[in-house]
Amino acid sequence: MSQSDWRTYKPVLIPPVDNLHEIEVYRKQGGYEALKSVLTDKKRWADPKSVVDEVKAANIRGRGGAGFNAGLKWSFMPPADGGPRYLACNGDESEPGTFKDRKIFEYNPHLFIEGAVIAAYAMEITTIYVYIRGEYRPFIEMMRKAVQDAYKNGMLGKNILKSNFSVDMVVASGAGAYICGEETSMLESIEGKRGYPRVKPPFPAQKGLWGRPTTINNIETLSCVPLVIRNGADWFSSIGAKNHPGPLLYGISGHVNRPGVYELPSGVPVLELIEEVAGGMRNGKKLKAIIPGGSSTPILRADQLDGVTMDSDSLRTAGSMLGTSGMVVMDEDTDIVEVLWRISHFYHHESCGQCTPCRDGTGWLEKILLKIRNGDGETRDLDLLLDVTTQMEGRTICALADAAAWPVRYTITRFRDEFEARCKKSVHALV
Amino acid sequence: MTMSEVFIDGKRYEFEGQPQLLQFILDLGLEVPFFCYHPSMTAPANCRQCMVKVGSPVKDRETGEYELDDEGNRVIRWFPKLQTSCNTVIADGMVVQTQESDELVQRAQKDTLEFILANHPLDCPICDQAGECPLQIQTYKYGPEGSRFEVKKVHKPKHVQLGPRVTLDAERCINCTRCVRFTDEISKSHQLTIVERGDKNYPVTAPGRSFDDPYSLNTVDICPVGALTSTDFRFKARVWEMNQTPSIDITNGKGCNIDLWTRDNLVLRITPRFHPEVNDYWMPDAGREAYQLFNENRVSHPAQKLESEQVSASWNHALETLAEQLEQTDRKDVLFIGSPHASVEENFALMQLANLTGAKTPVFTPHVEEGSGDGFLLSDDQAPNAEGCRLLGLEEVSPKQMQTKVSEARLIVALNDNLFGRGVLDATHAKNAFWVVFASNHTETTQMADLLIPITTAAEHAASYVNVDSRIQRTFPAKETKYSNRRLSMEMSEGRLDRFGTSFDNWVTEDHKIDCVPFWDFATQAGERLGLNLHLIDGRQIMDQIATMNPAFEGVSYVTMDEQGGIVLAKESMAKSK
Ligand SMILES: Cc1cc2nc3c(=O)[nH]c(=O)nc-3n(C[C@H](O)[C@H](O)[C@H](O)COP(=O)(O)O)c2cc1C
Ligand code: SF4
Ligand code: SF4
Ligand code: FES
Repeated sequence: MSQSDWRTYKPVLIPPVDNLHEIEVYRKQGGYEALKSVLTDKKRWADPKSVVDEVKAANIRGRGGAGFNAGLKWSFMPPADGGPRYLACNGDESEPGTFKDRKIFEYNPHLFIEGAVIAAYAMEITTIYVYIRGEYRPFIEMMRKAVQDAYKNGMLGKNILKSNFSVDMVVASGAGAYICGEETSMLESIEGKRGYPRVKPPFPAQKGLWGRPTTINNIETLSCVPLVIRNGADWFSSIGAKNHPGPLLYGISGHVNRPGVYELPSGVPVLELIEEVAGGMRNGKKLKAIIPGGSSTPILRADQLDGVTMDSDSLRTAGSMLGTSGMVVMDEDTDIVEVLWRISHFYHHESCGQCTPCRDGTGWLEKILLKIRNGDGETRDLDLLLDVTTQMEGRTICALADAAAWPVRYTITRFRDEFEARCKKSVHALV
Repeated sequence: MTMSEVFIDGKRYEFEGQPQLLQFILDLGLEVPFFCYHPSMTAPANCRQCMVKVGSPVKDRETGEYELDDEGNRVIRWFPKLQTSCNTVIADGMVVQTQESDELVQRAQKDTLEFILANHPLDCPICDQAGECPLQIQTYKYGPEGSRFEVKKVHKPKHVQLGPRVTLDAERCINCTRCVRFTDEISKSHQLTIVERGDKNYPVTAPGRSFDDPYSLNTVDICPVGALTSTDFRFKARVWEMNQTPSIDITNGKGCNIDLWTRDNLVLRITPRFHPEVNDYWMPDAGREAYQLFNENRVSHPAQKLESEQVSASWNHALETLAEQLEQTDRKDVLFIGSPHASVEENFALMQLANLTGAKTPVFTPHVEEGSGDGFLLSDDQAPNAEGCRLLGLEEVSPKQMQTKVSEARLIVALNDNLFGRGVLDATHAKNAFWVVFASNHTETTQMADLLIPITTAAEHAASYVNVDSRIQRTFPAKETKYSNRRLSMEMSEGRLDRFGTSFDNWVTEDHKIDCVPFWDFATQAGERLGLNLHLIDGRQIMDQIATMNPAFEGVSYVTMDEQGGIVLAKESMAKSK
C-alpha cells in the first residue's frame, strides 16, 4: 500500500467492530491466533529468537516518541539466566497533544495484551507490567478487566494456551506525573519509588526493574506485534512510509472540525490529514501552524507544510519530529505567545527536579514567557530565552529538558515577529 | 602489556582497573567542580556541575590499531554531549578536556552555576555555611559574573525542624540528594526523601516522622550549601572566626577522628575528620554533642572537703595534701584507680606515681554498655581508652572487685572516671577512705572527693587513646587553660584571625580558661614533694618514654602517629608487656 492510498485503508489497530474489548468478540475476530501460532507452531516459530527477528524485520518504530525499532530493542536483552525478566508497557501517555493509547485501552485492549504476551515469549519475560497514567482511571479499570478475562481464558498466567510458557501481567498506575512516562522513571515508579529518571548506563536491558533485565515499549508499539505475527513483516513494512512503516494512530486536536484519533498508515500528508481526515479548519479559518507529534516537537508554520508527510524522514527535513503523532492544529487567531507560555508552564510543572539545568531552567523559561505574555517583556528577553535553551539542551539525565527547550527555541525562531511585537524594545542587552 | 592510559588536558596519566573519572582527577590533585558526588556514596549525576568533554581514540576494526591523522596523531571521536565526570568510567586511551583546556566545558560549568543561583536565596551574609560553602567557593571560581535572572525566585519552607538536631532551609537546597543518599546508603535509617517536583523540590521526612537518625548531623556536613544546619550550632559563629583543631572523639570506644572548632577558648562544634580506616567521613551525633563537656560544668581550681563541704584550696595546698596522704598511708592501703576515660599518657603517669610510691598497680573498670553499639560508629564500649589501659598493664577489674578494693582502701587516688555516676560504686563503698579525685568535670564522683584536683580535657592537652580496634590516635590542644599559651604552644592550631586579625579580634577574654593542669604535671610536682623524679613534661615526651618501656607501644611516637593517622597496636604484645 503506498502513502496516497490512505483513503482506502482499513483500520487494524482499532477496527470498527462492536464490543471488540470483550475477549469473546476479540477471539471471534481472529484474536489470540498470533499468540497461539507463536506458542504452538514450532515449524513456523522455531524459537523465541525467530519472533524477535520477524519483529525486527517489520521495523516497528517505537510509538512512544523516540521511534526506535522494537525488534532491535528486544534483541538487546541478555540471554536468560533463570532469574526474573520484565516487560514494562508504557501507557503513561502524558505529553500534551497525545491521546492515542487510551483508544487501545478502550476499544482493543486484547490486541495489546496479545502483543505483550508475544513480546514476553520472544524475550523470555516472566512478568509484564502495564503502567497507565493515574488520570486514566476508567481505562485502568478497563485494562484490569481485560487482564482478568485474559487470565480466565488462559492467555495469561501458567502454561498459556497449554504451552510451557507462563507469564504474569500486572496493571500499575502512576499518580499523575508526566515524568513517569520517561522509561527509567517509570521503572522507579513501578518499584514504588519517586519518579526520578535513572542515569544511563546501565541501560534497562542490563539493569531494569529491581536490577533485572527489562524492556520498555509503548502500548501502541506492542499492539502492532500480533499484526506482524499474523500477516508477516513484509506486510507490515509495506504499509505507509518506507522508513517508518505500519498503521499509526493520529491524535488530531485543535482548531479542526473533527478532532479525534484516526488510524491510518504512517506518512499521510499533513495538509490532507487536516483537510480530509479532520474535516478541515474550524469556522473556515486559515491554518497558522501545527505541532506535529506532542508538545515537545518543534512547531511548523503553515508555509512550512507543503508536501510534508507524517513520518520521521519528512518531518525531520521540514524541521520537526514525528514524536507521538499527536498533532495540534492552530488557526490564524492563535496567540503564539500564549501557546508557548502554556507549553513552558507544563514542562516547568513536570520537571522532576533532579538535574540543575532542567529544574531551574524550565522555571526560568516559563517566568520570562509569562512576563512577555503579560506585556512586560523586552526584546532582549527573547535572546535570553534562546540562551537558556542552549544551556539546557543535552546536559541532563533524561530528555525532558530537551523537550522543554525545543518548543521555546523553535517557536521563537519561527515566530520571532509575533514575539517582538509583544515586547518593549530593549535599550541595552543583557550580558 | 602496557599500563592503561588516559589523557587529561593534554597530559598523559596511567591508571589501573576502572576508576571513575572525577575521583581519578581529584586523586591527582587536579580539580573539576562538583556538588552531588560524594566519594562514599553512589553517584546520581544530578547536579550536572562536573561536566567535561570526553573522547575515545578511533581504532581500525581489522587491525585493532589506533587510527592516525595526517600529522600522526590519534583520531579522537568525541562524545556528542558533554559528560558528567562523576559517573564516567575511564577507558584505555580516553581523552578528557576539563575547564582548564576547553571553552565549552567552562561555559557549561558556568551555565550550571547560573541555574543553581537563579533560585538560590543568596543570603550568604546570614548563612552558617558561608566560608565553608562549596557553592560559594565554586561560584567564585567557575561561576558567572552576575545573574541574568530578573524574575521572581521560588519560595520554599524556611526553618523546617527535620529532627531534634537538624534544621532545614529549603530555599537554600540545591537538591543534590546527598542527605537522602546518606540515610539510604550510610546510616540506613531511610528517614529522608525528596518531595515536590522541579524547582519546588526539597528533602523531608515522612509525615509525622522525625529525623532522629543517630547520625543525622553528618547530613549537615555533606550538604554542599547551608540548607541543612545544626540546630544547636546555628548562628553561633562564623567559620572564619574559629580555629579548627584535629582531635579524637572520646565519647565511645570507636575513636572517630574529629575536628574541634574553637573560638575564645570555647569549643563551639565538633565535626568528623576523614579517616578511611576508622570513621570514613562520619561520626555519631552523640560525639558532637560532647562539645559541652569541654566548656561547661568544668572543675576549675582545686578544692578540699572541710566538714562535708568542698571549699576552694590553693594548688600548693593540693600538692601538699596529696604528698602528705601518700606519705602517711600504709602502701597496702593505697588504691590507685586508672580510667578508660583518660588518655594513655595520664594512665601512664598514674602508674608511674603508684610504682614510685611503692603502691600496687592501678586498677580500672571498663565502661561497657552491652547492646548500645550498632556495628557502625557506636561501640558498646563507652570509653575511649579501655584498650590503652590494658596495654599499659593496668589491672582490669570487674565492678564487684572494684567495690571490694575500694571498701578495703584507706587512700584512693582516682583518675577522671565517674565510677559513682555509672553505677560501679555507691556511697556505701566510699566511706573508709580519703578520696583524691582528679577530674575535668563535676560528677557524682567529684562530690565524693576529699581532695578534688582539676585536670585538662582532650581539648586542652595532646594525648593518645587506643580505640576498640587497638588503634592508638592522639589529640591536639584546642583551647587554653589558665596556664597555657596558644601562641607559645606550637601544637595549637591557628585560625584566620590569628594570622590576619588584630589582637582585639578574638580570644580576648579570660573567662573561658579553666584553672586546671594536665594530670602528669600535677603528678610530677606531687612526686617532687616526695623526693621522686617522675619527669613527665608533656604528651609527646611521655609517649616517647612509654615506647621505650612498654613493648606494646614500640615505635609509637607523636611523629609516627601523625604520619600514619594513628597506629594499630598488636594485641599479642599485651602479654609481653606485663
Ligand atoms: C519526559 C519523557 C516523557 C515520556 N513519556 C512517555 C509516555 O507518556 N509514553 C510513552 O510511551 N513514552 C514516553 N516517553 C518515551 C519513553 O521514555 C520510551 O522511549 C518509550 O516508552 C519506549 O517505547 P517505544 O520504543 O515503544 O516507543 C517519554 C520520554 C520522556 C523523555
Ligand atoms: S532532565 Fe528534568 S525531568 Fe529529566 S531527570 Fe533531569 S530534572 Fe528530571
Ligand atoms: S538539603 Fe543539602 S544535602 Fe540535602 S539535597 Fe538539599 S542541598 Fe543536598
Ligand atoms: S558531581 Fe557529577 S553531576 Fe553532580
